[in-house]
Amino acid sequence: MEKEYLIKKWLDNSLTPEELEAFKALEDYEALTKLSNYTKGFKAPEYNEDEALKTVLHQIETKKQSKTNWLQPVLKIASILVLCFGAYYYTTTLDTTFTTDFSEKISVELPDHSKVDLNALSSITFNKSDWKNNRNVSLKGEAFFDVEKGSSFNVNTPNGIVTVLGTEFNVKQRDNFFEVTCYEGLVQVTYKNNKTKIKPGESFLVLNDLVINNQTVYSQPQWLTNTSAFKSLPLKEVIAELERQYNVKVETKNINTDLLFTGRFTHNNLDTALKSITQPLQLTYTKTNQTIILERE
Amino acid sequence: MPENLHKNICEQSLFEAFFKQHSKNLHNFLYYKFGERLNPQDKMQEAFIKLWENCKKVTPSKAKSYVYTIANNLMLNEVAHQKVVLKHQKIKPQEHSNESPEFLMEENQYRKKLENAIANLTEAERVAFLMNRTEGKRFKEIAQILDISTKAVEKRIYGALKKLRKEIEEI
Repeated sequence: MEKEYLIKKWLDNSLTPEELEAFKALEDYEALTKLSNYTKGFKAPEYNEDEALKTVLHQIETKKQSKTNWLQPVLKIASILVLCFGAYYYTTTLDTTFTTDFSEKISVELPDHSKVDLNALSSITFNKSDWKNNRNVSLKGEAFFDVEKGSSFNVNTPNGIVTVLGTEFNVKQRDNFFEVTCYEGLVQVTYKNNKTKIKPGESFLVLNDLVINNQTVYSQPQWLTNTSAFKSLPLKEVIAELERQYNVKVETKNINTDLLFTGRFTHNNLDTALKSITQPLQLTYTKTNQTIILERE
Repeated sequence: MPENLHKNICEQSLFEAFFKQHSKNLHNFLYYKFGERLNPQDKMQEAFIKLWENCKKVTPSKAKSYVYTIANNLMLNEVAHQKVVLKHQKIKPQEHSNESPEFLMEENQYRKKLENAIANLTEAERVAFLMNRTEGKRFKEIAQILDISTKAVEKRIYGALKKLRKEIEEI
């Protein structure tokens, strides 16, 4: 018991001088000190504490930085959202355009269910987003409008503006040619700051800067039934329309293209159409591929 | 332990002081317990980094046990039970200068035996014993580090000593 007490005291480094003497006298003294001395060799390796602290602080610092990196993915997502939203906003507020090619006709419904029939080689542009307050349509070429009642409806063409409140009318705008025909309701045409009101059955025609008021007997434009009708119009306008409807090239030889033509031609058969144009004017035509030559008989 | 003046250890100066106070003991504790193979220094540093990351949640009074637990878990995660390897340092504690070959051989044998015997101790015994013998720490200090009673420390160290002697002297 005495021995165990001494050894424990020795282990705890708390032997008094007398106890130390007694401890040294123990038979185990040699073995114990040897064991103890050798054990000292198993001391944990020394390391630089400051260096270790520095590494720890450094890692903390870099972790802090990487922690702020959560912002990066958030920003990425945000920018994608912004792009998506921007693209969405851009496309929805973008003008809508419909275009027809040679011998093509399409029917377009506007946001308020107004209907637009587009003749060959024409284009119509409007903006969906502000349609309720702003019924503006840009037109190049020829179109027939069946407008629902509502706020004023404007058709902007390079030649003039057509304003209506709900009606059916046809607008034909070609080079040096601007014709508005009213079929129902009332149409106002603004041409060179002059406002003209057109009643049903009337048409407003500007040909080479010359304003002509005409009458029509039809209840809708003839091109909607695949024919083109002309009343005292120069041959070159007729030819231009033929070219648009059939995608052909028409050449004339020794013909006065200012010759007035009254009549019609179909959009379904080129030969019939050519005959309808040439016979009344006593002309002949020769057809090679997409080119047609008109000559005097 | 410093008094509870601060709610947490998030302040860098406080953290540094805490590190200086405990890092070495923690490192040595890990070394004695798990040996050198599992890189006790790395684990010690990792534990302190974890402490910093969670500094708002850990009060100063809990910080010590926190880093010990974290470091211990990190060690356990790595390898469940590898045999402990302690490196016997080349600094020779005895003062013999004229060593005969037989003596050297005997010394080597003894060191091998001791190494084995220490490795065979339980973790608790080994930690307490090595802290006591290699670093000259008194029972009370060890008790504080390990958060156990002085009596328990005494029991562990004395028990370890008895086991070692038995293993070395009998074989």
